Amino acid sequence: MKKLISSLSFVAAAAMLTASVAQAHHSFSMFDGKTQLVKTGTVVRWAFNNPHSWLYLNVKNEDGTLTLWSFEGSSPTGLIQRGITGDTFKPGAAVTFMYCPLRDGRPGGAIGWVKLDDGKSLNPADGGCNGNAEPKEPLK
Amino acid sequence: MKLDFSRWQLAVGMLVLVVAPSFALAQGVIAGAGTGPPLTVIAPPQQFASSEQHYQFLLEQAKGGTKHTLTSVPRWDGLWVTAGNTHMDAFVEGGNFKGKVREGVLTPAYETAFKERWRQQTEEGQVHYDRLGHCEPPGLPRFLLEPYSHEFINLPTESYLINDFGPSIRRVLIGKQHSNLYGTHSWYGDTIGFWDADKLVLNTKYLYPADFTRWSPMTSNQFETLEIWQLKKYADGIERIEVQATFYDKFAFVKPVSAVYSFRRAVELEKADYRVNHWECDQTSNAYLDDKGNTNFHLPGEAGFNDGRGSTMFPELPGQTRDPIYNTTLPTVPNAAQPTNSNKGVTP
Repeated sequence: MKKLISSLSFVAAAAMLTASVAQAHHSFSMFDGKTQLVKTGTVVRWAFNNPHSWLYLNVKNEDGTLTLWSFEGSSPTGLIQRGITGDTFKPGAAVTFMYCPLRDGRPGGAIGWVKLDDGKSLNPADGGCNGNAEPKEPLK
Repeated sequence: MKLDFSRWQLAVGMLVLVVAPSFALAQGVIAGAGTGPPLTVIAPPQQFASSEQHYQFLLEQAKGGTKHTLTSVPRWDGLWVTAGNTHMDAFVEGGNFKGKVREGVLTPAYETAFKERWRQQTEEGQVHYDRLGHCEPPGLPRFLLEPYSHEFINLPTESYLINDFGPSIRRVLIGKQHSNLYGTHSWYGDTIGFWDADKLVLNTKYLYPADFTRWSPMTSNQFETLEIWQLKKYADGIERIEVQATFYDKFAFVKPVSAVYSFRRAVELEKADYRVNHWECDQTSNAYLDDKGNTNFHLPGEAGFNDGRGSTMFPELPGQTRDPIYNTTLPTVPNAAQPTNSNKGVTP
């Protein structure tokens, strides 16, 4: 019962957050919200900034080189209510993440969910991608 | 690699996806889910020709208003976040994203403009561009529904309605008359007010053209507001500030439009010991209007990229980075002419 109450509270909180973040500061038309891709990478910078946060990640290419990818997330006020703060993603940390890509193909997108190396899953998403989407395996 | 989400977490997640949109859209609430009982619009007691006439009527009803002291003025201390509103009910049938634009509420020119916004939102899922994307302040009426954090400070002769977006500050002068020494309009205009017991009645004029939000109608430079702010307390300790608003705009509306907005106490932010910080969109946003008329982003290494955590204009001095904790450096190409796809990886 306790678990049920806890989860229902989560549902209510997530619903409120989903609605409020969708209101955020700009249109999300630059993202392909219907495409959800999964990759692994290493945190370069977590910019816990207004009006939106940005997660910068080094992602290894097939030839072994690195590309810096940039992902937009929700605002700090929205994220704090989900337990995410300015030191949640530390430089050098390995993560698996889901994102909705920029439509023009540049290395960036809207962040969906992020899974830390210790197994903890987080939802830093804004309205551009669904941070509650079902987890998938990373792309090969 | 196996991801170990439990079935329970997945079930809850799926339920959220199903429930969240309908919950958020209940009561015509498109911006922020409601907290507490459904929001109900209280229409003005009669139709007024202007916001000022409306204000004067209420002032007379309140016999000149309640003269509060520092000890009696209603206190709305703490942090607040938006908690739903009904503004779309006035403009869209059903007040949700499946509805059609109501005919005859907006003037023909504004109705046509709104229909195109609504087409983009409902057919394409997003409007192409939002003026906030190039860091315009929300202005009024958008101030009433923008997220981020809010503080409301009441004094006997002044009130300050603050959103950390920008930041935006509405200054309310209690018991004063309108004044416009600049001889022009502004994002938050000129707001006068009076107290009627625990209700704060506001009248705002001299506003810039703005909008309700990016998928909502635009407003003109003749937009004015009459707002009644009141803190209400409900069962289970719910505290909600409700704003009964009537909007006047001779260019945009056929007749005045009424809606109710709300703010709930941000208990999660208060528990986290959150502090409202000054931030400027200009220095941290990388959104821009591209040549196709869509919102796009400058990425690191591209011309126009703002590095909100980079160095100040004196990089030769020690300690000039804006991120003294992690001090990571992103690539910059100050003189690059066009966006590039060649963002090489960097070492933290």
